[in-house]
Amino acid sequence: MKRLTLIILAACALIMLLAASDLPDWADPASPASSHLSPGFVEQAYEATHTPNVVTAVLADYRGYDTMFETVVVFLAALIIMIILRRTPHRRFCKILPHRPQRQGRDTVLKGAAQLIIPVMQVFALYVLGHGHYSPGGGFQGGVIFGASFILLALCYNLEFTINRFRERIVLLCCAGGALLYAGVGALCLAMGWNFLGYAALAGILGVSEAMARSHGILLVEVGVGITVMAVMVSIYYDLASGGDMREGL
Amino acid sequence: MIEQAPALIVIIPLLAALLLIPATPLGPRFAYGLLVTALAATLAAALATLNLVMVANEAVHYRMGDWLPPHGIELVIDHLSGVVLVLVSGCALLTAIYSRQSAEQDNPDRLNQYYALFALLVTGLLGMTATGDVFNLYVLLEISALSSYGLLARGRGPAYYATFKYLVVGTIGACFYLLGVGYIYIMTGSLNMADLAEILSRPELQESMSVKIGFTLIIIGVWIKMALFPLHAWMPNAYSKAGTTTACLVAPLMTKVSIYIMIRLMFSVFSVDYVFGVIPWHHLVSWLAVAAIVVGSLTALAQQDLRKMLAYIIVAEVGYMVGGAWLANEAGLTGAIYHILSDALMTLCLFMAVGAIIYRTGKSSAAAMEGLFAKMPITAAVFVLGWFSIIGIPPTCGFFSKWYLISGGIEAGHWAYVAALLFSSLINAVIFFRLIEIAYFGNFATHDGHHAAPARNEAPFTMLLPMVVTAALLIMVGLYTSEIITALVGKAIPPGL
Repeated sequence: MKRLTLIILAACALIMLLAASDLPDWADPASPASSHLSPGFVEQAYEATHTPNVVTAVLADYRGYDTMFETVVVFLAALIIMIILRRTPHRRFCKILPHRPQRQGRDTVLKGAAQLIIPVMQVFALYVLGHGHYSPGGGFQGGVIFGASFILLALCYNLEFTINRFRERIVLLCCAGGALLYAGVGALCLAMGWNFLGYAALAGILGVSEAMARSHGILLVEVGVGITVMAVMVSIYYDLASGGDMREGL
Repeated sequence: MIEQAPALIVIIPLLAALLLIPATPLGPRFAYGLLVTALAATLAAALATLNLVMVANEAVHYRMGDWLPPHGIELVIDHLSGVVLVLVSGCALLTAIYSRQSAEQDNPDRLNQYYALFALLVTGLLGMTATGDVFNLYVLLEISALSSYGLLARGRGPAYYATFKYLVVGTIGACFYLLGVGYIYIMTGSLNMADLAEILSRPELQESMSVKIGFTLIIIGVWIKMALFPLHAWMPNAYSKAGTTTACLVAPLMTKVSIYIMIRLMFSVFSVDYVFGVIPWHHLVSWLAVAAIVVGSLTALAQQDLRKMLAYIIVAEVGYMVGGAWLANEAGLTGAIYHILSDALMTLCLFMAVGAIIYRTGKSSAAAMEGLFAKMPITAAVFVLGWFSIIGIPPTCGFFSKWYLISGGIEAGHWAYVAALLFSSLINAVIFFRLIEIAYFGNFATHDGHHAAPARNEAPFTMLLPMVVTAALLIMVGLYTSEIITALVGKAIPPGL
């Protein structure tokens, strides 16, 4: 069996090398990937969306339909982990993790450090989210930083402390809510008589030009992505750290 | 509003899935109602779109976000995808109605989350069918695959292990697809299917090794997803351990949509000339199909578990369709496309009937069939009808699709494929008579033939209704074969075949 695996791996490697034979060179400006669609994005994206960061414009507007489903993929991850791991009330006493650390959260240094770091982290997360139009950043990155701040809280205090502040039900609502905000913005555009996710439809509501409306639409869906990613990080941490029963754990 | 129908097909189930999570406090009845209503609306949107396509007699395009196609993503719905959209949304609606009792029984505590996964799987399948963008197809492939892992893991007993295997194999399949798309993107710079088809028809790309390997990787990825022999090992266990509703949803639709994707990529992104002229290994595929049919049928004969038996029959059916699509003639491809339709209906019919039997008897082995005609006469009739279609007895649609596939095989002079199809029908008939014998006369190993007729214990109404509708559809589709072929399937055949 191991030998068969090796043979298959070798065959795959050979195919990859064969395929590489007539690929264009690295960073070749004449390669199809940089000459077919990219010039169009670089030239038109700012005018059409008023978003200086072309990556954000492509991600959240030109290919916003893909990004919506990527957000749904993130949401699905949390949903599936929950549906598999989380204990039902009447089965609460069958434990998955027999040796579980008892954390009372008395460590002053850790608590102090967390108190200093967490607010800064959360503000920075909002900055990354909001600044995605101008620099690398956006909903996915900002959401991860925000979610990590809750995980840090759970690590420095304990899981129960965090759950008391950010209940599992609210976390689940945020998971679905972010994706719902994204799809809802799209559906609103559709209801306004434009196509799905055609943010230019928001121009009438916001009272700005169509290009600016696209920029605002991008911000709205990035907020949706951020909420979902943040809540999914927290939800997965809750499930994995407590083995699914939400009582104690790391 | 009617021109928004293509987008609504994908958006309605997505919104339903997302709304089901905050709707948890409203209870199981609301969740069931929301799911059924949403899927009924989806079916209506799919029918409206198919109507648009048939009236215009050309593909309907929908620009997501109002961007022009090669830069933005577009949905393209032509005769082929229109039929598959109606099929998927219709089967999903029937399964949703069917799930009233069994989903609650299998998921007493997490019904809303289960239904959300259900709706997301349907979203993924519909989105894959409707899209005109190869990367968007990958994203939705991920959605449907992930939600099917979640649904299958909710099954009983060793479902976790079977699902884990499926997860590993399915992820490898998706990686193959993505890698292939990567090669094609490097060589063309585009992801839009129509744009790709135009760029790929240039002579220098026709001969390119990278494009050939990209095509090969994409097709292998799709084969893993559809469980074509010898890449099928994940499938029978995953499907037979699943919960009743999950099996009814996943088994008929996942493999059929994969077949659709294969046909779409072969003829809409690449071309007839490319696949059958440039690709050096194209004539080997029909032999792979022959192997799938023979192995699938023989393994099905050896099974005791009803659903495992059906899963192996699906392995053989996948062989039918792949073989038909790769015969390189019109009759073969017509048969393959028509078989997507009929096979989805007959597997749905049989999985529903078996699900009802499991619901009432609690057993999934062949012994559960004992006394079926006395206990559950309607379920038994549906079961018999579904099996007629699998064997290929007129007027069920299974007969007509097999007829086209066989005539395609004869036209191509591929006698092994024809023989495999007939052999598979024969095996299916043998299995059928074995099951009917158990149903009528009981298991001779445990009984001596003298026992009182068991009391009638028919499946509940919400299970019976979709079953009977599916069985009626089997005959209806069979009776209207020529209309369906001329109005829809015939228009989906690419020129030059």
